[in-house]
Amino acid sequence: MKTDLITRADWLVIAAAIALLPWLYSAFWSDNRGVGDEVHIVVDGKELPAISLQQDQTLTIQGSIGPSVVKIADGRVRFLSSPCRGQQCVHSGWHQHNGEFAACLPNRIAMLITGSAARFDTFSY
Amino acid sequence: MKRRGKHLVLLILAALLIAGCSRPQQQRLHHAQLFSFGTLVDISLWGASPAQVEEAERIIHRQLQIMHNAWHAWQPGPLTATNQQLRSGEWFVCPPAVMPLIVQSKQLYRRSNGLFNPAIGQLVSLWGFHSDTLPQGPPPAATAIASLLAQNPGMDAVSVDGQRVRSTNPAVQLDFGAFAKGYAIDRIVEKLVDAGIGNAIINAGGDLRAIGRHGDRPWRIGIRNPDRPGLLAGIELAGDESVFTSGDYERFYEYGGTRYHHIIDPRTGYPARGVRSVTVIHDNAAEADAAATALFVAGPRDWYPIARQLDIKYAMLVDDKGTIHMNPAMAARVQFETADQPEIILSKEL
Amino acid sequence: MNTLATTAEDHRIALLAALAITIHIAESALPSPLPGIKPGLANIVTIATLCIYGLRTAAWVVMLRVVVGSLLLGTFLSPTFALSFTGALASLIMLGAARLIPGQRLGPVGYSLLAAMAHMAGQFIAAYWLFIPHPALLHLFPILMTAAVLFGLVSGIIVAAMLKHIQ
Repeated sequence: MKTDLITRADWLVIAAAIALLPWLYSAFWSDNRGVGDEVHIVVDGKELPAISLQQDQTLTIQGSIGPSVVKIADGRVRFLSSPCRGQQCVHSGWHQHNGEFAACLPNRIAMLITGSAARFDTFSY
Repeated sequence: MKRRGKHLVLLILAALLIAGCSRPQQQRLHHAQLFSFGTLVDISLWGASPAQVEEAERIIHRQLQIMHNAWHAWQPGPLTATNQQLRSGEWFVCPPAVMPLIVQSKQLYRRSNGLFNPAIGQLVSLWGFHSDTLPQGPPPAATAIASLLAQNPGMDAVSVDGQRVRSTNPAVQLDFGAFAKGYAIDRIVEKLVDAGIGNAIINAGGDLRAIGRHGDRPWRIGIRNPDRPGLLAGIELAGDESVFTSGDYERFYEYGGTRYHHIIDPRTGYPARGVRSVTVIHDNAAEADAAATALFVAGPRDWYPIARQLDIKYAMLVDDKGTIHMNPAMAARVQFETADQPEIILSKEL
Repeated sequence: MNTLATTAEDHRIALLAALAITIHIAESALPSPLPGIKPGLANIVTIATLCIYGLRTAAWVVMLRVVVGSLLLGTFLSPTFALSFTGALASLIMLGAARLIPGQRLGPVGYSLLAAMAHMAGQFIAAYWLFIPHPALLHLFPILMTAAVLFGLVSGIIVAAMLKHIQ
C-alpha cells in the first residue's frame, strides 16, 4: 500500500479549515456580529430618538424638500420613497448591518444603523 | 471523487455546526409598551411563547388596574375610603387591597427613620401634587405647611390589629405614591414567574424589575442623566433585581425661578433639597421604591446610614452639583455614559 | 487463581495509551499562553493508532489517556477533566464521522486536523456552557481554533512522516 504524505481529501480538509478561520474571526470578534439593532435617523442635522429594527413599521419623515418614507421590516430598514431626483436612497435598498449608512442628501435625511453594544434593553428614570 | 467532495462539505458543515453551538441564539425578544391606567409600562420578554406574551400582558393590565383603582391617592376608591376612616381615630376594617401596603410601609417607615413617610398625604395634597395636571404655583403658604408639620403625621400612629386599622393621629392621610408602583411590580413579577416566564423586564414609568437574562447576556439598563437629556450610566442586571430611580425631574413645577418637585421632605414639609436623583438596585421592587425616596430625602450627607438600615446594597445619588455619591459595589457595576467622567464620592461599603 | 485473559490488542492498547499518557502529562507541565491551548501532541498517538489499527483501538487509547492521565495528574472528575473528556469525545465523534465517508480515505493530516478542531471546539463549548458563560469568552474562540488548526497540521504531518518511515 502506497500512501501519499498528504492525500487530496486531506488538502480539501486543510483548505476548509483555513477558510473557516477568517470567518470565525469576523463572527466572534465584531461585537455587532454583523447585524444592527437600531437605526438613528438624522433630519436636517437633528437626530431622532433611536428606532429599533425589531419592530416593523413605516415612517414618514418630513425632510427639507418633502416627505421621505422609511420602512422597517424583519430587522432591516430602507427608503421606500423620497422626493429627490436621483432616487439613489431608494435604489440602495435594504440595510441591516451595523455601521451601514444610507442617506437622501437632497432631502437632508440620513440614517445610521448601530449595533447592540450601545443598546440598552430599557431605561430607569 | 465528486461524491467524496460532497461528503467532505457535509463534514465541514458539521464542524461549523459544532462551532455554531457556542454562538448566541437567535433574537427571541418580545418588546412592547402598554399604556394602562395612566402608566406607561414597557415590557421585554425573552424567549416567551406567544401564549405567555398574551398572559403577561393580561397580568400587567390587571395589576395596573388594581393599582389604579385601589391605591389611587385622590380618586375615590379603597385608599380614599381608608383615609376617610383614619381621620375618625376609631378602629375600622381595612380594605384587603390596602392592608398589605400599610403593613409593609409601617416597617419601611421605621427602618428609614421616617424619611419614607406615606402618612403625609395632606402635605402632598397641599403642594398640589394630588392632581392629574401639574400645579402652576405659587407654593403653599409657609404657615399652612408649618401647621401640617406640627401635627407630625407618621406611620407609627397607624395601628394594625388583624383586619382592623386605626390612626391615633387625625392628620395621617396615606399616599403610596412612593411605594404602590414597586408593590405592583412585585406582584406582576410573582405572577409572571407563576406563568413560567423566566426572562423579563417590567418597567413602569422608569422604575423596573428584571428577572433572568436577555439570552446569552444580562439585561442592560440605561440610567437617565438628571442634568440633561441622555444617559448618565448603564448597568447590567442578572438574576432578579429591581432598579428604581427617584428624580426631581419626574413631577415638578417652576415658580419664581425655583423648582418644586414631588418628593416632599417629611421633616421640612418642602421638596427635598440638594439631590437631583437617586438610583437604587435591590431585589424587592417595593422596598427599592421606598428606599429611592428615603435616600433622596436623606440627601448627600445622610443617605449612607439610611441605606444600611434599609439593607440596600447598591445606591447612587446625584447631588445638585452633579457629584455622584455611591458605595463601592455600585461603582463597580455602573458604566458611565457621559462625555466626561463625573466627580465621584465613594462611601464605605453598604 | 484466575488470570484475566488478555489479547494482543489489549497489550497494544495499553502500550499506546501509556505512550499517549506520557505525552499528555509531559505536555501538562508546559506553560500555556492561553488556558486550553496545548500543542495536543498526544493527538499524534491517536491519529497513528487510527491509521494503523482503526477507530476502535484509537477510541480506547483516547479514553484511557483522558481517564488515566487525569488520575495521575489528580484532576479526575475536576473541571479540567470535564473539558478534556468533552474534547476527547468530540474528536472521536469527528473521527468516526470522517471514517464513515466512502471512497478515498483521508490521510493522517486530514484526520489530525479534524480531530484537533473538534477537540478544541468541544472543550470550548464545555467551558462556555459549564463554567464561564460570559460573552467575553467567545472572543477567545477564533484564537483557540487557529491554534488547533496549527497544532493539528503539525501533528498530522508528524504522523504522516512516521507512517512513511514504517512502510
